[in-house]
Amino acid sequence: MLVLSRQRDESIIIGDNIVVTIVDIRGDKVRLGIQAPTEIPVHRREVFEAIQRENMQASRVQPNELGELKQIPPAPGLPKTR
Amino acid sequence: MEVRTTRFGSIQVNADDLIRFPEGLPGFADCHDWVLLADGKNAALAWLQSVERPDVAFAVVSPRRFVAGYRLHVARQELEPLRFDDLRSARVLAIVGRNSRSITLNLKAPVILNLERGLGRQVIANGEWSVQHELQTSVATRKKIA
Repeated sequence: MLVLSRQRDESIIIGDNIVVTIVDIRGDKVRLGIQAPTEIPVHRREVFEAIQRENMQASRVQPNELGELKQIPPAPGLPKTR
Repeated sequence: MEVRTTRFGSIQVNADDLIRFPEGLPGFADCHDWVLLADGKNAALAWLQSVERPDVAFAVVSPRRFVAGYRLHVARQELEPLRFDDLRSARVLAIVGRNSRSITLNLKAPVILNLERGLGRQVIANGEWSVQHELQTSVATRKKIA
């Protein structure tokens, strides 16, 4: 892994269109500013990985596992038909 | 065209029913073309079926049908790739999962569709929503827990 030292307000550039800037440093917390083209998704890694895991599991759900869904009452406050 | 699925057999769909996910979905980056199928047995349920992989499909529901007060807040750049002319035409769907206790909804990362342009994207919602929001099945299970 490439390791670079940066100070506040300094940046690194990845390729020719992704810029990561150190916006603030406080204690053990670093705030990053990320400029990237919209087609490049940028996510907090742990959140992205949780979604990835959940998608993997959910993609295996079969229709016969969801019978109970019919018994789930509508959210309170939703207008009802008679 | 014909879409092959492991759950529902072969299904005929029109080419303009295809929904393109330019980035795929997390965990399924190579799945770009999907089709939304209504579930014949449960009106609240639909399936987002991969065109490229017959075994990959997500059960999806409208989250507000099940969760009072679910309001989606996402960063503007999350929606930009969907090229909405009018945000009111956005369809918001939650992916249905299962854990050992109950049916769950992924409220942290709903799927947003722009059906007019045939585009879709799984976005990350701001706020403390869970990827496994548990749904309470019936009055009976609720009593058991209490």
